[in-house]
Amino acid sequence: MLHVNIKKTFPHFLLDVSFTAEKGITAILGPSGSGKSLTLQCLAGLETPDEGIITLNDRPFFDAGQRVNIKPRERKIGYMFQNYALFPHLTVKQNIAFGLKGKPKAEVEEKVEKMLKNMELERYGDRYPAELSGGQQQRVALARALIIEPDVLLLDEPLSAVDPSMKETLEQQLLTFIDKHFSGVVLLVTHNLEEADRLCDRWIIYHNGSVIQLGAKEEILARPVNVTVARMLGYKNIFPVANIRPVDQGVIAVVGDSELFMKATSPSSFDFVAIHYDHLMFVENECVNTFDYDIVQTKTRMNVVEAILETKHFQLQVKVPRKEWSSFGQTKKKIHLPPEHLFFLEK
Amino acid sequence: MVESLDLFPLFLSLKVATAATVLAALIGIPIAYYLSRSHGKVADFIDALTTLPVILPPTVLGYYLLVLLGRKSPIGKFLEETFGITIVFTPVGAAIAAFVVAVPFLIKSSRAAFASIDPNLIRAAKVLGRSDINIFFVVILPLSWRGVASGIMLVFARALGDFGATLMVAGNIPNETLTMPVAIYDALLAGNHRLANVLVIIMTSVSVLLLYVMRRIEKRMVRGDGAHAARKH
Repeated sequence: MLHVNIKKTFPHFLLDVSFTAEKGITAILGPSGSGKSLTLQCLAGLETPDEGIITLNDRPFFDAGQRVNIKPRERKIGYMFQNYALFPHLTVKQNIAFGLKGKPKAEVEEKVEKMLKNMELERYGDRYPAELSGGQQQRVALARALIIEPDVLLLDEPLSAVDPSMKETLEQQLLTFIDKHFSGVVLLVTHNLEEADRLCDRWIIYHNGSVIQLGAKEEILARPVNVTVARMLGYKNIFPVANIRPVDQGVIAVVGDSELFMKATSPSSFDFVAIHYDHLMFVENECVNTFDYDIVQTKTRMNVVEAILETKHFQLQVKVPRKEWSSFGQTKKKIHLPPEHLFFLEK
Repeated sequence: MVESLDLFPLFLSLKVATAATVLAALIGIPIAYYLSRSHGKVADFIDALTTLPVILPPTVLGYYLLVLLGRKSPIGKFLEETFGITIVFTPVGAAIAAFVVAVPFLIKSSRAAFASIDPNLIRAAKVLGRSDINIFFVVILPLSWRGVASGIMLVFARALGDFGATLMVAGNIPNETLTMPVAIYDALLAGNHRLANVLVIIMTSVSVLLLYVMRRIEKRMVRGDGAHAARKH
């Protein structure tokens, strides 16, 4: 288990984060400049936090209070850098063996051979990184990180340099090889929501140097804690709430001059109410939270139609599969916001 | 007649330029490395200080060196009393003058080469357990040697051709401190056009050769990143 609670101040930036990560792949997700890579560098000992502690399985890496600051080389951290950072002047073998300096030659050779085999790179040992495909380079980078038998694996934007057409293949490759050959804590830094969605079940969401939400992916997706997270996750239907009123089995939220019924408990603080477009329903009959609408704008994408609908009180954005869009345009003229999928958000 | 030609200045110049180049490599490369990695006020100051010789007239530089290293100055006195080294009006002085004039070129080109290395390569080497010194020789130097080499050649060329600062510090004592550029000036003043012509042609050939080699190196630098790039095809 990796425990991190650190602070580092810069003239125009403050990194102040705290989280724990268990075995398995955890995503650190956030926009660029939010301190994700800096956190990895602090973990690896490349940057020194001003305050706080970093421990791995109760082994301290850094403790400002106790003046503990283990050197990068003694932390045994597997670090895969953005764009892989393979040494261009060294062969694949030399790259992989880079972390084994000082070990007996026979041992180094044996380990490198085994790693080449594990990563399916046997035929490329004497090539230079520039002579390899993106997928091969990725495996060399992983091999180089894993050969020191690390306890933590840090992946900094492992797929940002990858050609879009290769991306899913390489994502899958990365997952497969990590699953097969590494069983510790993995932290994966990314600014790409889909990537985090496909690779990681646990997320740590970063914004401006702080952790704003962390936990299981499904929970975060269903209930973002504030507007920033909600926007990052692609929520478009976010309405300011003027007031709330508890009622039987729920809450009434006053949005503009309309009222929305929510199956929720009254929150201590509220700024917005939100609903994901997946949960909006087109209906024929009048019921609770149902509104007549006009179509203001439609954009036809490859597989979906994105539309902006206007009710008397607010605008809604919907995404509907193309096939379905044409069929209900004629019949269903009302939109329904299911009470169980509406939730409160803080600013 | 060729026999009457005194080629002492050519050999002295080559020796002085070589000494100045070695000195520049030993002092200039560490400074360049420091400057490539630091961006503070101290670095800015050192940067300005090491660029100064390019802008200042050589005579001004020579004057400073005389004041700083003359027999009456603390440094000059110390060197003379402790090691028996005199700097002013000796070949050592010529080498030091040439070093000061030329070292900015090495610092500039090495610094650019060091700065162009992906910082993640250095971080990767650190995480993989290498010490800073090891990283310099195993990662940084192999990836930037072309920039450094081209800087070393520039230093040699500049040191070989220095006139003003050398004259101020070392003088023009025949068979002792008379370097090529000064010898050309002296030959011209003495009306010895034949000697001047020969020396000028030698100087020009050496300079052209150096520039050509540098150009080749730079061209390969643009095309690829060294030996591994050449094997690509």
